[in-house]
Amino acid sequence: MREALFDLLQVAGFAPHAFDSAAAFLAAYGPGSIDLLVTDVRMPDIDGLDLQERLRTLAPSLPVIFVTGSSDPDTRARAMAAGAHAYLNKPVGDKLLLGTLRAALGINGTEPDA
Amino acid sequence: MASTSPSEIAARHDGNMQWLVPRFDHAVHAAMDRDTTAWWALDISDARPLIAAIATGAGPVNRAAMLLDTVRIVDVNQNTVHALGPLGGRRSMIGRTVSAYWPPESWTVLADLIIAAVADFPLGAPRSRPMTSIAFTDAMMNISTDETGAHPDLVFLSVGGTVIDDRSLWAVRASEQRYHNLIHHLPIALVQVDSRPMNPIFEQLRRDGVTDIVAYLDERPDMARHSRDIVRVTDANRNAVRLFAAESADRLIGSVDFLFAASPDTAKRVIGAHFEERRSYTEMMKISTFAGELRDVELTVTYPTPPERLDITLLTLEDLTDRLRTEAQLRQLQADFSRAGRIATLGELATSIAHEVNQPLSAIVTNAETSLRWLSRDEPNLAKIEQLTTRIADSAHRAHEIVQRIRAMAVRHAPERVPLDINTVIEETLLFVRHDVVSRAITLDAVLAPALPQLVGDRVQLQQVIVNLLLNGIQAITQRSGTNGKIEVRTGAEDECVLIVIRDNGPGIAPENIGRVFEGFFTTKEDGIGIGLAICHSIILAHGGRISVSNHPEGGAQFEIRLPPAPRN
Repeated sequence: MREALFDLLQVAGFAPHAFDSAAAFLAAYGPGSIDLLVTDVRMPDIDGLDLQERLRTLAPSLPVIFVTGSSDPDTRARAMAAGAHAYLNKPVGDKLLLGTLRAALGINGTEPDA
Repeated sequence: MASTSPSEIAARHDGNMQWLVPRFDHAVHAAMDRDTTAWWALDISDARPLIAAIATGAGPVNRAAMLLDTVRIVDVNQNTVHALGPLGGRRSMIGRTVSAYWPPESWTVLADLIIAAVADFPLGAPRSRPMTSIAFTDAMMNISTDETGAHPDLVFLSVGGTVIDDRSLWAVRASEQRYHNLIHHLPIALVQVDSRPMNPIFEQLRRDGVTDIVAYLDERPDMARHSRDIVRVTDANRNAVRLFAAESADRLIGSVDFLFAASPDTAKRVIGAHFEERRSYTEMMKISTFAGELRDVELTVTYPTPPERLDITLLTLEDLTDRLRTEAQLRQLQADFSRAGRIATLGELATSIAHEVNQPLSAIVTNAETSLRWLSRDEPNLAKIEQLTTRIADSAHRAHEIVQRIRAMAVRHAPERVPLDINTVIEETLLFVRHDVVSRAITLDAVLAPALPQLVGDRVQLQQVIVNLLLNGIQAITQRSGTNGKIEVRTGAEDECVLIVIRDNGPGIAPENIGRVFEGFFTTKEDGIGIGLAICHSIILAHGGRISVSNHPEGGAQFEIRLPPAPRN
């Protein structure tokens, strides 16, 4: 799924970076290195909500979009309350995902090739 | 010696009856072995009125019994005493009626001889008669009177022939009776067969060089049928009559054909074992009763060998119909019970399963949409599209595999007995609980020992056991609501068995409940129905294994399963 999202973002004109865990992402993260984070909720060791919590101090203005198989309403509520930009359930359509990304990044207009 | 008056000798009571014998050179006596002939001297004085009545044709119907009740024993010789064994004894016999000692089956012959000797009735009636005796072959009874006329009330009786059994007559009779009672009251159906007619056929076949008589009979159905005709049932006990739903034993006497009507091939193998001079032969067969019902029986044939009576081949038939039926019902119930449990478990795992299926489907959606984007470019990136399409196919296969595995858990299927590798079974089950484990931040370690012996069993049922125990562990950890939940699945070999240990670090099982966790409908969970562990127990038992539970010294519950390995060929 990670590879699939990476390819989609790439073909849509973004410059994505993929990490196989929250720990790997945090190790590579530097201020200003990315404009937006797309993450799952359920991940080994540090899960999506934990990661979001850590980023609140580390990168308070970084938009976070959850793309997850978990449709648990409590999890969604917690994520949104903690300031998530969006909480999308898998499977997620490309237009919805890319539209959400563009909105989060403040990029106007629709896709050029849609 | 022949001229010695028998009365004198009788009066001496010296016990040597040979002195009493008036004419030992009688033609009949000549054929007898003097040393084994049994002699009786009988006093008929009290019988005279009855004999006179009989001689005028006015005797009663049961004249033999009445007559012999009035004939008294004057003396007997040692052979007679020996023949009667513990029943006799010379001192006790003298003065008693002959009916007290004479075998009832030849009362009529004896009575006829006495009437012939005393009253010559019917006129010219023989003084010698053959009799049936289990002590002699060709047994003859001979009667004579005191020709000197000195003792008109005395008759002399001799019984002789070739001795069959050196034991006493009484012992032989008791033995026969014991055998008869044993056979007829055995709680198993028993049929006695005379298979001697096969002997000349066997001899001929051996001369012809036949070694495989079963194959020989396969090619000659007529001969197989003929064999079933000539071999005959000579006796059948009560249970045999009942088993075949016959009115009486007479229905079973005759050709053995009815025995093998539903299993003609069994007859060939029974003949084959006899031909090979085996001592016994056993197989499961079907019989058709006279009521037209088919029953499953275990047939055991015991062939006679000398010095046993060669005319007695014993067949026992144990009716296993009800047992087999009950076993089949039990297996079906166990399977239904297991399936009900699997359906319940799948319900508990619904979220986990949906997540597992959703993963590859999500990947397919995103990869397909990405692929379309590449395609819609002016210069499509074919290499990329090929990669994405390959991923789509892989994900679709993965989704199919997951659905298949779930389906296998849900559908009804007859329990299988196939060779299995327990490690593979365990790995396959992890799919069902992976999401539950990850979402609850539980560490699940599978420590699977390599090169374990194979098992024989039902894959789905064993997966069910593992899933139930893992789910039990997950729920125990969740109940404790702590962090650092940990479940360990371990396999190994122990004492020829395959060992599976599933341990959690939950709160463990309360000591008062530890003996009850495998009981049906026992649960400590608010929403549990308490069949998961009961099903685990029944499945493991059905696989010939054992399951036990204990609390680990470091906390948490530990389930141990021991399963026997597949038999080696």
